[in-house]
Amino acid sequence: METLRQLLVGREISELSRVSDLLDEPEQLAAAVGGVLPSAAARAPHAQLGEALAPAVERAVQRSIQKSPRTLTDILYPVFLPAIRKSIGEKIDQTFQSLNETLRHIFTWHGLKWRFESWRTGASFSEVVLKHSLVYRVEHVFLINRNSGLLIAHVTAENATSEDPQLISSMLSAIQDFVKDSFNEKEQSGLDTIRFGELRLWSEVGPFATLVAVIRGNPPEELHEIVRDVLFRIHDEYSQALEQFDGDSSQLIGVETQLQTCVELKQEDSNQGFPWLVTAAVLLILIAAGGWFFLSWQSGQRWQAYVSRLATQPGIIVAEQKVSDGQFYIAGLRDPLSADPQSLLSGTEVDPARVHSQWQFYQSLEPEFVLKRLTASLAPPDTVRLSIVDDRIVAEGEAPDTWIDRARSAARQLSAGGPEFDISKVRDVSPEARAAEHWQAYVSRLETQPGIIVAEQRIRDGQFYIAGLRDPLAADPQALLSGTEVDPARVHSQWQFYQSLEPEFVLKRLTASLYPPDTVRLSIVDDRIVAEGEAPDTWIDRARAAARQLSAGGPEFDISKVRDVSPEARAAEHWQHYVSRLEAQPGIIVAQQAARGGHFYISGLRDPLAADPQALLSGTEVDPARVHSQWQFYQSLDPKFVVKRLTASLTPPKSVRLSIVQGRIVVVGEAPAAWINRAQAAAEQLSEDGVVLDVSQLSELSLPELNRLREAIQATDIFFNSGKVVPGPEQTPVLDRLADQIKEFAQSARKSGITARFMLTGHSDGTGRETANASISAARAETVRALLNKRGVAPELLLVRGAGTFEPVVPENSQTGSSTNRRVSITVNLD
Amino acid sequence: MQKKICMLGGFAVGKTSLVRRFVQSIFSDTYLTTVGVKIDKKSVALPDKTVDLILWDLAGEDDIGSFRVSYVRGATGLVLVIDGTRAATLAVALTLRERAEAEFGAMPFVLLFNKSDLTDRWAISDSEINELRQRGWQIYLTSALSGENVDDAFRQLASMVTE
Ligand SMILES: Nc1nc2c(ncn2[C@@H]2O[C@H](COP(=O)(O)OP(=O)(O)OP(=O)(O)O)[C@@H](O)[C@H]2O)c(=O)[nH]1
Ligand SMILES: [Mg+2]
Repeated sequence: METLRQLLVGREISELSRVSDLLDEPEQLAAAVGGVLPSAAARAPHAQLGEALAPAVERAVQRSIQKSPRTLTDILYPVFLPAIRKSIGEKIDQTFQSLNETLRHIFTWHGLKWRFESWRTGASFSEVVLKHSLVYRVEHVFLINRNSGLLIAHVTAENATSEDPQLISSMLSAIQDFVKDSFNEKEQSGLDTIRFGELRLWSEVGPFATLVAVIRGNPPEELHEIVRDVLFRIHDEYSQALEQFDGDSSQLIGVETQLQTCVELKQEDSNQGFPWLVTAAVLLILIAAGGWFFLSWQSGQRWQAYVSRLATQPGIIVAEQKVSDGQFYIAGLRDPLSADPQSLLSGTEVDPARVHSQWQFYQSLEPEFVLKRLTASLAPPDTVRLSIVDDRIVAEGEAPDTWIDRARSAARQLSAGGPEFDISKVRDVSPEARAAEHWQAYVSRLETQPGIIVAEQRIRDGQFYIAGLRDPLAADPQALLSGTEVDPARVHSQWQFYQSLEPEFVLKRLTASLYPPDTVRLSIVDDRIVAEGEAPDTWIDRARAAARQLSAGGPEFDISKVRDVSPEARAAEHWQHYVSRLEAQPGIIVAQQAARGGHFYISGLRDPLAADPQALLSGTEVDPARVHSQWQFYQSLDPKFVVKRLTASLTPPKSVRLSIVQGRIVVVGEAPAAWINRAQAAAEQLSEDGVVLDVSQLSELSLPELNRLREAIQATDIFFNSGKVVPGPEQTPVLDRLADQIKEFAQSARKSGITARFMLTGHSDGTGRETANASISAARAETVRALLNKRGVAPELLLVRGAGTFEPVVPENSQTGSSTNRRVSITVNLD
Repeated sequence: MQKKICMLGGFAVGKTSLVRRFVQSIFSDTYLTTVGVKIDKKSVALPDKTVDLILWDLAGEDDIGSFRVSYVRGATGLVLVIDGTRAATLAVALTLRERAEAEFGAMPFVLLFNKSDLTDRWAISDSEINELRQRGWQIYLTSALSGENVDDAFRQLASMVTE
């Protein structure tokens, strides 16, 4: 049986015993339950588990607090702190708001009204003020899901409107997100006030929902508390529904009634019926009191003006003042040197009889009072000036040491709390000191004097002693005393003479001993004495001896710049000067020169166009009588001379320019062909002498106008009857025209720098003897010259010649031969 | 019943335009970039109930670093918008979704390839879209300009978030 049992349920039995062991062994049981407890708790229905655990947890917390309150405080601290902070902040805001409003209304008409109300109702004045000045209305309340920003509920006050509340609610939370993100705000609370003109958005943040109240007007700070309270109650009641909110607010219908309490919050200016009776009574009292009130108010104002004037007075400290029963009381401190409060009353219209003042004297430490007192007590001398600089009193100037001592002790006494008294700028000028100062000034003046060496000086018993060396040429120490304010009678000096080696003294002595001639100048250059100029050799010798004597320790005496000027030497010098001047002359070549026995000999070549050597003598101080010169003429090939010669011989027209370019003579311009030919000839000649005359840049004068005229002139012939030397009257117009043409031509040519000449050639026919023909032809030319001259042609332009029968125009045996050949022809020459 | 929906997607993909088309039935081709967030609301009548979609149109960010993920808090659905003419915006939309889900957990979404009217510039291949459909995602080719599929897409999401 046992075996059977073993066989059938043996495994179960051992299982059972293991389990009962497990249950009996507390250790093992705890381990087993511990393994499943978390999942068991998780699976249990929330409400039941909560209820079951609540008492235990409560007890545990209680124990923990009893044991060590610290632990729990630490745990809860982060939760409480923001709330506490916020609550304190609000309390402070509230206080400020109340103070603010009270102050704002204290002196206004409704302020008075409210005072009356506060007296009537027994409420404090600030309460009444807040009640009236904080006019507001909560227009909307939104309850918003904190997580999604979705609207849970929304309540509106009567006739307040708004946009779609769902949108508003999302936007509000978007703004919250934006602010938190942007400013990295970690705080739980986020934005709690947004102000937009008249509207304020106050938000209270709860664990699952945010309550936003939209308030128009000026809400009191306590409203925060009310709003928060509502939010708290909503969370309390609907915490689960709030936590699980997923956009469906059907679970939260009741919330709206809670919100409604917020929306009903408002404070409106009471528009109750006007309290006629009370007003009448008050009015009566007011009228009666009015006069008195106004007067006392006015005198109060005056009194206040007086008090504030006193308070700004330096040296007056108003400690206390009050007005009571129309009497004015004032007490305080005043410096004896300050303005008299009594005298300040005059002109204020405050009745002096009603003023009761109590002043205690004190010594003001304001710098200006201290200055006054110091001036009174120290009686500073005229040379001292006291002034206030940056709240310090500064004394400046000169004063005897006795005064300075007194000032110093005054400064010491002042030091405690008062302004600083700075006397460092006052110089001690007691008579002794002053005299010593003067003496020192004199001594240092002496020390800077050249030629004076101060060896010793001292002041004893008001007497001044000085000893030293002085050069006889130095300034007189006694004379230097004048103007120094040192009493000469108290000066005892002992001077020994010495020869100063200072350059200027040496210079003086040298000048005295050497008597330098007027042509010598002595000067000091870099501590050396330098003689310059010209002197006879005798003087130079003396100077050299003096220089040698000086050498020991004294300055150097440099006579190297004095030139020996014995008459001979000077004459030779002048001669040399003249010779070198000649040598520099163009067109003069000095071949030889010598000075011998007081006479000067010179020989050489000179171009006739060069300067006259004789004339160059003047101004050279060379005696012409002692000059013997021998000059041979030559043609200088110096381009300058060549140009001169060419200009003289070729007489170039104005349109041509001769210039020297790098040793070559260049002729540039326009010239008549004849002149160009002559220039070319000259160039050839010169090239043999090695002088270059460049005529390549010459061009023939091209004067088309003149050419035509010239043609016309040359085509003209004056005809004669047989045997006659005077042309017939029929030739008069020809002559007239010819004269005009010649004049015009000559004038135009002159303008171009060319001289035109007109050759009148007389001709005769072949009849008659040849000699007679020759003379008749010349005579005809002469006649024409005279006729042209008569017509205004300058005679020097006209050349005449007789050609006889040698230059006939046509063969003599032809038909018109003789008559045509009896004529005067004209050719134009240019050069 | 209200639901918070967030429009996510790259820069200028047409989020704002889609919301305007859906809410106000209008389209404008002037582009005004959204700064921060813009909120709109549209009631959608489903067979069994009506749901108020609160649409949070977020500023498009191609740079995922500057994405303000906190705006997505409390959202129950996402509209991921891709610009079909810019292939790169697909990756942007998917990254934004990952970012949002990492922060707030998985939530239903629809994927919109927008600007379907711009066929000549279309940059997404059909095979790519099919492959995404394989994952069981709700995908629409929409055009804010013509209105094509816009209502359907939002309705689809509305029914997904009310399940
Ligand atoms: N053709 C066409 N253009 C579109 C479409 N949707 C948007 N656009 C244009 O694309 C541009 C950008 O559109 P938005 O809606 O402002 O883009 P967004 O995604 O809101 O941009 P952000 O706010 O900057 O992130 C605008 O010029 C729109 O007119 C569309 O379906 N078709
Ligand atoms: Mg946009």
